[in-house]
Amino acid sequence: MNDISTWDIVRNLFDGAVWTLALSLTAFVFGGLAGLAILFARIAKHALPRRLALGYIEIFQGTPLLMQLFIIFFGGSLIGLEISPWIAAAIGLTLFTSAYLAEIWRGCVEAIPKGQWEASASLALSRFEQMRHVILPQALRIAIAPTVGFSVQVVKGTAVASIIGFVELTKTGSMLANATYQPFLVFGFVALGYFALCYPLSAYARTLERNLHGARSH
Amino acid sequence: MALVRIDALHKHFGSNHVLKGIDLDIEEGQVIALIGRSGSGKSTLLRTINGLESFDEGCIEVDGERIHPHETDLRALRQKVGMVFQQFNLFPHLSAGQNVMLATRIVRKMPEAEARELAKAMLLKVGLQDKFDAFPDQLSGGQQQRVAIARALAMQPRVLLCDEITSALDPELVNEVLAVVKDLAAEGMTLIMVTHEMRFAREVGDKLVFMYQGRVHETGDPRDVFANPQTPELAAFIGAIQ
Repeated sequence: MNDISTWDIVRNLFDGAVWTLALSLTAFVFGGLAGLAILFARIAKHALPRRLALGYIEIFQGTPLLMQLFIIFFGGSLIGLEISPWIAAAIGLTLFTSAYLAEIWRGCVEAIPKGQWEASASLALSRFEQMRHVILPQALRIAIAPTVGFSVQVVKGTAVASIIGFVELTKTGSMLANATYQPFLVFGFVALGYFALCYPLSAYARTLERNLHGARSH
Repeated sequence: MALVRIDALHKHFGSNHVLKGIDLDIEEGQVIALIGRSGSGKSTLLRTINGLESFDEGCIEVDGERIHPHETDLRALRQKVGMVFQQFNLFPHLSAGQNVMLATRIVRKMPEAEARELAKAMLLKVGLQDKFDAFPDQLSGGQQQRVAIARALAMQPRVLLCDEITSALDPELVNEVLAVVKDLAAEGMTLIMVTHEMRFAREVGDKLVFMYQGRVHETGDPRDVFANPQTPELAAFIGAIQ
């Protein structure tokens, strides 16, 4: 197969990487929104939403992402829903991301001293207003670094979508490896592709963490 | 009629019976000094008055706003009761002025400009009119506590609860905070203070409430009570702190 040049490999992998990026962003944006909702349930005053949220988090943290994708993808067609690999991957990664982010953010909310809750409660703020104006602005500051750090896990997690046939970076890589018989070269490029996506994120997370530690509180 | 009425109040922390039937009436404009050993229930009692602690039996009424055991909707009560804490608990992400404005903006729905004017007036009252834009970590402990007082006052409470508000301060900063409280008392603000400042309690207090093992053990005019305690427990307490 000498008609596939290294340039062709790189170009095709680049196209695959665009889909990896698209899937990561989708999972991160929707997972973030869903994660915020789960966070509210997780720290609710009533036991029922708290338990439901905890159950949700434990299911997604306690099973492999690959199984979650299989269940959505094959389970969908079992009940007669034609789910494309893209939709299945987007849903699966969104759920996965929401569970982890909710748990990361819960830790950040719980790191805010109890006195902040008491002071805002004694000013007659409702629980939602306390969250909105007092707790979340402070929790957000400490949440940024671990959240950006977790985004690296999401980018790498998108690789499992290749198994249900979604053509992103890894899937493009395996197709090219089959066509060229040069798996080492191709997967070397694939790894470089992931590194190029992830390294800026982890470097940014590190910078944020450093700035936070040396920073004043505003 | 009393501004604050506490009726047969009981509270348990698990198997620990911390408030064993508290009855207390507080008139408008009174300054109450709550004293007692740690563990006597004085802080718990104070915190039940604005619902930071729940209770199991009895009733609390502040200015006609009645709360019963395990009440969950406390917003109406809390608009009548302000609180100042030992650890100040200012919101660190907001400036002093924004700390004072926050609740009037959100809870009272006051327009921005009006809330700002009110916050300035409250900061002026505690002598910090030039610190509107300072953040809490740029202020001394005494200044932070004065901002916390201004923040509570901005909601125009009928009664102000003070939970050991000078205990976390360096000794040289205590007086500036007590001076503010003294001014409030002179203006007729109803104050309920848990305090270890006995000299202050004697000077400013109208009524002293000595708590012992979850009960109101002895009450009276601070000057009389200090000079002539009626129970051996209060005599021992006064002896221990002097």
